[in-house]
Order: sequence, then C-alpha cells, then structure tokens
Amino acid sequence: MAGLVFILIIITSFFFLGIVIRTKSIFSGRKGPGIFQPMKDIWRLLRKENVYSQTTSFIFKIAPDIYFASVLIAIMLIPFGNQKGIFSFDGDFVFFAYILAVGKFFSIIGALDTGSSFEGMGASREALYSFLAEPAFFILMGSLALLTGYSSFADIFSGIQFGSYISYAIGILASFVLVLIAMIENSRMPVDDPKTHLELTMIHEVMVLDNSGFDLGLILHATNLKFAMYGALIANFFLTPGREWYYSIPIFIGVQALFAVVVGTLESFIARFRMNHNPQFIFTISSISLLIFFAVLLILGKYF
Amino acid sequence: MVNILLITFAISLIYMGIANRLSTYINILAVQGIILFGVSFIELIQINTINLIFILFETIVFKTLAIPLFLNYVIKKNNIVREAQPYLPDFLSVVIITCFLLGSFILSNIITGVHIRKMFFLVAISALLSGLFIIITRKKIITHIMGYLVIENGVFILSLSAGNKMPMLVNSGITLDIFVSVLVLGVFVNRIGNTFEEMNVDNLTNLKD
Amino acid sequence: MFGYYLIIGFLIGIVSMLNRNCMVRIILLSTFLAVQTAITVYAYFHLNEISSGYFKSDALGVIFLCVLTILSFTTFYHSFIYLKHRKDSSRSQSFYFAALIMLIIVMTCAYLASHLGVMWVFIELTTLSVAVLIYHERTPLSLEATWKYVFICSIGITITFIGIILLSIAIGETEITNFSFNAIPAQLLRVNTSWLKMIFLFMIVGFCTKMGLFPMHTAAIDAHTVAPPPISAFISTTLMNVGFVSIFRTYSIFAHTSILPWMNTILFLCGLISIIVSAAYLLKVTHLKRMSAYSSIEHMGLAAIGIASGGIGYFAAIFHMILHSFVKASVFYQIDQFHRNFKTYMINETGNYFNRNLPGALVFLLILISITAMPPSGLFVTEFWIFKALFTSEHIFIFILVLFFLSIAMYSLAKNFLYILFNQTKDLLPAQEKPNPSETLTQYFLLALVFYLGINPPSGMINLIQEAVKNLL
Repeated sequence: MAGLVFILIIITSFFFLGIVIRTKSIFSGRKGPGIFQPMKDIWRLLRKENVYSQTTSFIFKIAPDIYFASVLIAIMLIPFGNQKGIFSFDGDFVFFAYILAVGKFFSIIGALDTGSSFEGMGASREALYSFLAEPAFFILMGSLALLTGYSSFADIFSGIQFGSYISYAIGILASFVLVLIAMIENSRMPVDDPKTHLELTMIHEVMVLDNSGFDLGLILHATNLKFAMYGALIANFFLTPGREWYYSIPIFIGVQALFAVVVGTLESFIARFRMNHNPQFIFTISSISLLIFFAVLLILGKYF
Repeated sequence: MVNILLITFAISLIYMGIANRLSTYINILAVQGIILFGVSFIELIQINTINLIFILFETIVFKTLAIPLFLNYVIKKNNIVREAQPYLPDFLSVVIITCFLLGSFILSNIITGVHIRKMFFLVAISALLSGLFIIITRKKIITHIMGYLVIENGVFILSLSAGNKMPMLVNSGITLDIFVSVLVLGVFVNRIGNTFEEMNVDNLTNLKD
Repeated sequence: MFGYYLIIGFLIGIVSMLNRNCMVRIILLSTFLAVQTAITVYAYFHLNEISSGYFKSDALGVIFLCVLTILSFTTFYHSFIYLKHRKDSSRSQSFYFAALIMLIIVMTCAYLASHLGVMWVFIELTTLSVAVLIYHERTPLSLEATWKYVFICSIGITITFIGIILLSIAIGETEITNFSFNAIPAQLLRVNTSWLKMIFLFMIVGFCTKMGLFPMHTAAIDAHTVAPPPISAFISTTLMNVGFVSIFRTYSIFAHTSILPWMNTILFLCGLISIIVSAAYLLKVTHLKRMSAYSSIEHMGLAAIGIASGGIGYFAAIFHMILHSFVKASVFYQIDQFHRNFKTYMINETGNYFNRNLPGALVFLLILISITAMPPSGLFVTEFWIFKALFTSEHIFIFILVLFFLSIAMYSLAKNFLYILFNQTKDLLPAQEKPNPSETLTQYFLLALVFYLGINPPSGMINLIQEAVKNLL
C-alpha cells in the first residue's frame, strides 16, 4: 500500500499540465488542445536523440537525470493521509526540501556548464528565487510540526486532523502558501512566464535552452511531477484519517484537479510581474508563513 | 475562526507593503472592513442588540463602503496618479512590515500579568506600526489618509479585544469623530489638489524656520 | 444645567453659521458670551457637582474654564477687529464665528469632562473645530499648516485612544469598567508595572500634540504661524491648556501607582527637550508668530517640569499655565495690530515700533518683561516655585540645564522684541495704518491681571488650585 500514493502522483502528473492548459484555453475563449497534449509532446521528445554542445562536459549530461531523479525521490516521501510514503523518518521534510535543492543545484550548474551568458542569467535568477522561497516552506512545515508535535510528513499529516476547525483553517492557509510556492518552484505565472519568447525575460526556460531530445523531455516532465507532488501535499491536508481508500482516492484526485484549475485560473488572470517585483512577492510568502507560525504559537499557548 | 480572520487581516497588511496602485490600497481597506465585520460579529454576538447593530453599521457602512467610495471619489476628482510612489523599494517595505509582525509578537509575549488575547494584540500593534510606516514612506498625501485608516482599523481590533466596556454614548462619539476626521482630511486633500499641481508631500514643506 | 449649556451653545453656533446679518451676529455672540459666563459662574459656585452624567465641575476644570471665559471675551473682540480689517465676506465671517463658538464649547466640555472617553471625544473635536479657523485665510500656506495640524493631531489622539483601550483591558475583565477619573486610580493598584508604563506612554504621546510638548510639538508651531492672530492666541493658550489638563488628569490617575518616579522621568525628558528645542529654534527664528509659538513650547516644557518635580511644582505648574495664558493671548492680540502696521510678520523687516505705535510698543515691552519672567510679573513667582520644587526634589542637574536654556531663550526673545521696538533702519515701509489705541486696552487689562495675580493672588484662586492638587500631595 505504501506505493499507492507514488503511483497516484505519477498518474496525476500525466494529465496535470493538460488541465492547466485546458483551463487557460477556456478562459481565453479558445478550443485548446486535448488534456494529454503535453504528455504527447514529452513522449515525442523522449524518443529523440540528445544533441550536446562541444563546450559542455559530463555535468551537462548528467544534470537532467539527477534533476529528474531528485524529484522522484522527493515524491517517495509524500504520505497519503495516515499512510506513510515509501520512505518515512523523523525530519523527512528537511530531506524533502534538500533533495529538491540538490536537483535544482544540478540543473543550475548544468546551465552554467554550457557557458552561455543567457543560461547563466537564468540560473542566477532561479537560484535567487529558490533561495527566497525556501524559508517560506520551512517556516510553514515548522509551524505544522509545532502544531502536531511530530517531525515527519506522515506523522504531521496524520496528527493534523484532530477534528477542530483550526486544522482545516490552517490547512487552507497552508494550501494557499503551498500553491504560491509551487508556482514559484515551477516557474509559473506571476513570477515567470513559460510561454515567453524573449530570453532576457525568461527564468527557467532560458536555463534549458541547450537541452534537447530525451533530456528536455525529462526536464519538462519533472515539472509535471513537481506540480503533482505539491498537489499531493495540499491534498494531504484534506484527507481525513480512518477513511477507506474509496473516499481518499477521489478526494485526492479532486484536490489535484482543483489545484490544476486554480493554477490555470491564476495564469489566465494574473499578469507576469516585472522582474524587480519578484523578490518582494516571494518574500511576502515567507512573511505569510511566518504569520502562520506565530498564529500556531499563540493558539497553542507556547511562548518563549 | 476569529484567529483565521485576524491572520487574514495581517496578510492584508503585508500585501499593502507590496501594493503599488492606489486602487489596490482602497480595495485592501474595504477587505479589512469586511474582516473587521466578521471579527466583531463573532466577538460581540452576545452583547445587546443596539450595540451590535451599531458596530456592524460602523464596519460595513463606514469602513467597507463609505470611506473607500469617498477615497475613490477624491482620487478621480483630483486626477491623482494611480501609483503609490513609495520612498523605499517594496522589498524593504515587506521586510519591515514583517519585522513589525515579529516585534509585536515578541512584545505580546513579554507582557505578563494582564489578561489579554495575544492574537488581537499582535495584529493591532502591527497594524498601528504598519499604518505609521505607510504614512512615513509614501509620497502621496492620500496615502497618508490610508495609513491613518489602517491605524484606525488596528485600534478597532484592539478595542474588540477589550470587549465592549465603553458606554454607548462614548462609542458613538468615537465613531463619529473618526468618520468626521476622515471627511475633514478628505476635504483638505481636495483643497490641496486644487491648490497644487501634484499632490505630493514635497508641496507641503514651505513652513519652516 | 450643563446639558442646557450644550444645547443653547450648539444652537447659537448653528444659527450664527446660517446668519449673514452683522447686527444679528453681534447679538448672537453677546448671548453666547452671556451663556458662557453663566456656566462659568455656575460651575464656580457648584464645585464638584456632577451634571449630565459625564461632566463634573472640579477645581482643575473650573480654573481653566475661568481662563477660557475671560479670553473668549477678548478673542471675540479682536476677531471682530481682525475680520473688519480683512474685509471678509459675511459668509466667511459666519463660518469663522460658528467655528469659534464650537471651539469654545468643546474646550469647555474637555475641561469639565469627568470620564476619560468623553474627554477624548471632546479633545478630538477641538482639533476639528480649530482646523476651520486655522484655514480661515485660505492661502496655500494655511492649507499646509491645517493639513499638518489635523493630521498629526488625529494620529496623536488615536495613539491616546490605544492607551485608553489598554487601560480598559488592564482594569476589570468582566464588569462595565468605570472610567471616571475618580474611579480609575483604585482599580489600577493591581495592574502590573510594565503594562502601566505602556499605557502611560501611549496616552502621554497623544496629549502632547495638544499641549505642544516635545515629541509632537511641530504641528502646533505651524498652526500658530498661519492662523489668524486671535486664533493663534487661542491655540497658544486655551487649547494648550486642554492638553495640560488632560496630561495633568492622566498623571493624577497614575500618581498613586508604582510608576510615579518613572512617570516623572518621562515628563522631565519631555519638558527638558521641549525647552532645549524651543531655545535652539528661538535663536534663529525670523517670524514673529513662530517666535511666540516657540516661546509657548518653552513655557509648556516648564509646566511639564513643574508637574514632574512634584511638591509645590504641581501648584506652580497650574499657576504658570494660567498666567502664561494671559500673557500669550495679549502677545497675539498685539501681533495683529503689529501686522496691520507693517504688513509683515518678519522681524528683520520691521523696527522703530515705538515711534509708529506707542501704545502697542508699550504692550510689547510689558510682554517682554512678563514672558521672560522678570520680577514684577507673575511668571517670575511661578518659575521661582518651579525651581524651588526642582531643588526640593533634588534635581540640581536638570535645574542647571533648564536655567541655561531659559537664559538662551530669554536672550533671543529680548533681542527680537528690542529690535522691533528700537531698530532705526531708514528704509522701512511707511506705516500702513494707525491702529486705534483703544484696541490695546484688552492687552493692558490682561497684562495687569498677570502682574496683579503674581503679586497678590486672590484667595479664591489659591484655594481652587490647592483643591486641584490635593490628591497628588
């Protein structure tokens, strides 16, 4: 049963971006592609051969694989309601954050390895934004850990449902923060526009300019997986323990679909920020999670 | 539930730090009015009906409708540029407002021996500080009024945490005062708009030694 | 009785706003003065009587109510002269007098309020009604000053309100808290110290805007500069008295708690820094009204120090405020004449006032004697008492500092006044108009009052002041 959530996330990741794109097309009044179109694109890429620049070293070659693998490992840590994920240990949310950071690190040095000035610029931006978004995640998870008294994903999520309204309220606020973190980590709309065609304004896209074929397919699919992973984290706030799988799985799927629709809606209605507005936006998320942290402290009556 | 509303209120303060259009400020003020309505409704449901109606009237009619509409009118009438024009970069504003939150959290924990609801205290003090901060760091005169309104909202939260101990008469006097002072300030903003080309604080530096 | 006063007063105010006829206006204003006198006399003879629930004619309030009533007579008179010379439209005159009546009514209420919240409401109302008066001249400068005054006072008074809320949190958790000034001290005894300190700080900061003490003194200065001179006379005297009364009452309710020494330190700081700031600005000031405003700040600082040093200082501070009101009012009445003579307030563009307007020049000379507290004036006595209180409470260092900065202020005031009186520059503008000597009578009356009260204070006044401070001793 431990692998159930892993499989669910993998399945979700196949149609996640499709729903986002479909939502956007409906809002903009277009017919739009089918839900599996992004997957078809990725499948096409995966069958192609890699082309490597002569200036690159082995780092450029292994970076996409490590990136993809790091996302997969992170997904294995995600629990499903009160069921543990494939791995589970105390403090695994720290491991979760840093295994993602390892992947990000490799994608950054892979970009730097090409020696292209565009990719260097993109890499520096990506590093800055991840750096700013990291406290938000940690403070959020820290306050949840404080609220429940546990320090692993599975225990936190099974402890959080003690039935009072406060857990749901905190859950809603936490989902809000997590949605924003997911948008930043995946370089989506208010921070970065994946559809931009000008290298100077790109962040994530410009980092993968030199990747092609199979590697590019991996990188693109890693984004899908990350979305599904954050969706699974959010879904965990609303999975009540003790419910049978035939309740849990529809809730899980429903939350994921809702998340995708929310992402699509946000992307349809929010314009992309100017580049110099991004840091403050990301810092705002950290402030909000700090606020949640204080609230948890005050609610629990724990003072220093 | 009250706690969640208060957190939302604090989030709106942070958001005010990065908002760069005046209309956003006005919307935030209206949202804050609604939040205050929610908080006061939950808090005061068991006190007598007249007081309750009075406070609901104050939050919904004054804070959510009348004042935002009035500010909109002032902005339209005077053709005020729609950007807030802070003196500091927004990033610093957010950092400083976060520091205010942190500081008032620490302050609310230092205080002992008095029965006070710390969540109310935290949000109220940080609203007070953020309001003062907005007044100090924004260039426009109309943003000064907005900062003043944020302070007033903080005071409202604080007075909710005290329960309702003022007599009715005093309460209505306080509300009336606040409303009239906003009105008077608005009238003067209009005058300033008629007298000077741009409504910046820089125009108001002629009185000095 | 007090309820009738409020109703009649507000009615007169509204009617005088609508009225455009000059004769009717004079009748209305006389009626109002009669009503104001009546309430003052009534309050004086019914000490400590509670009326309309929230008002009580206690000694402190009655003292300053008397000052207010005396000054309203002279201010109405000088307002008439001022408006006549400005040739204002009947409409703007109506607004002026309506606002002035409102201001007097709300100040009366603020003096006599026996409930903290009620006092707060009326103090806020003084800001709003005086704003109309400050803006009377409708110039960009007056706009700027009014904006600053209203804004800073609103914020200050809001901060005070936070203090009041914290106070209500601190005392009593269940029952309806009694916020009358008599009932609060007993309820404060079980509140802990740091909380009390915080409440006091919040409240004092707000009231400082009204009194013109250090952290919030700037708004009052600008308001003085542009307001019509009769109104400046009011801002500088009765309105600052409102601030003084509120600070004194705040001080009294905390006086029996453990934070008394700390509170004294705060007031010492406010007072001392006010004196230092005013002395520094007096050295470089060029605008006659600003100079008078800074001199007011200096006297407010002295009063605050008087309160802080305790003992005879309480008595001296109240006495000082009374005498200062009379002196400062006559300064501004005379400045109005001065302005009509020179058409400017800038000190360095004037001079030779002795030859141009002898009665007015004599007034300035007497003012110089009074305001710098030279012996025959009453202010000498009160400042002497304040210094005595400083000595008995063993604050020698503060005493030396105060003395030093007072002498600087004294030097600047003397220099500027003597310049106005005797400067013999040839290229002065010819006198624009010769003021009627009878217009100086009010100033002679007020100054004579200052001298008389200092030399031979009537026992009725002494008793009132002693009654006002008896809770503190």
